[in-house]
Amino acid sequence: MAIAVEPSATRSGGRTPRPLATHELPPFAEIARAHLDRLYGFCVRLTSDPSDAEDLVQETLLRAMRAYGGLREPSRAKGWLFTIATNAWRDLARARGREVVTIPLNALDPDGDEFSLFQTIAIEDPFPYSDELHLDFLRLFRDDDIRAVFGSITPVFRMPLILTVVHGFSCKEAAAILEVPLGTLLSRLHRGRKQLERGLWDYAVSNGLVTTTDEERP
Amino acid sequence: MIDCREAVRRMWAYLDHELGARPVSEFEAHLETCQRCCGELEFSRHLREVVADKPGALPVPPELRSRIEILLANPNEPTEGPA
Repeated sequence: MAIAVEPSATRSGGRTPRPLATHELPPFAEIARAHLDRLYGFCVRLTSDPSDAEDLVQETLLRAMRAYGGLREPSRAKGWLFTIATNAWRDLARARGREVVTIPLNALDPDGDEFSLFQTIAIEDPFPYSDELHLDFLRLFRDDDIRAVFGSITPVFRMPLILTVVHGFSCKEAAAILEVPLGTLLSRLHRGRKQLERGLWDYAVSNGLVTTTDEERP
Repeated sequence: MIDCREAVRRMWAYLDHELGARPVSEFEAHLETCQRCCGELEFSRHLREVVADKPGALPVPPELRSRIEILLANPNEPTEGPA
């Protein structure tokens, strides 16, 4: 099975840095410990299952350990580990007879792409006496609420959001980690954001965080 | 001149500094004439912060950490992988 190597180093189109000799790299354990909590957080979000996430972290580290000599830039170890984790998750899912979900574009909710949370809040006016309508809406959400909404986003659209917004990768880096063209990544990012917006609104309504114009106000 | 729909599509990329020079100038030209998109940009900025504020890192459960430490201490004997 091919092990992915640091995406930015191989796909940027620029001069490819030579691999460091193994003796120039810090010990693998040092790299692993430095990124462990972030890797675990990524795997939890990737798998949406703590038990699967634990398996995936171990598998990722096993693969990374074997491929460590191919790491070109230790400063980019996080992206390298995330790429390995993404590939390992695909392989684990396949081995269990589950394909990682991909959604054909024509199967998407055609209205989902047009939903605007900004506009919906303005129209529904859930806080009629507020001067900060939109900010008041965002203030309703606790960490658990955001996590629940995030979990409801289709994985293939959730991952670009997590990589770029939560983990701070550039779109180009996220595209390399997920092994998709940049245009695909940008399209998925947009759709993920739209699902996030709709998810926040639906969650607020279904959990009684807001009162809409369809409901009676006291 | 881009329309509101295109401006909204570019909004997060603009916030992420992922747009090229020309798309940025088209986007900013649109903002100069569109109060609604200015408001949505501000909202998107806050929404993005709400999401970005969630920690990417999660504490590794102690039992998993123990298994990993064993793995790291015995790099040549990685035996117990996932089922």
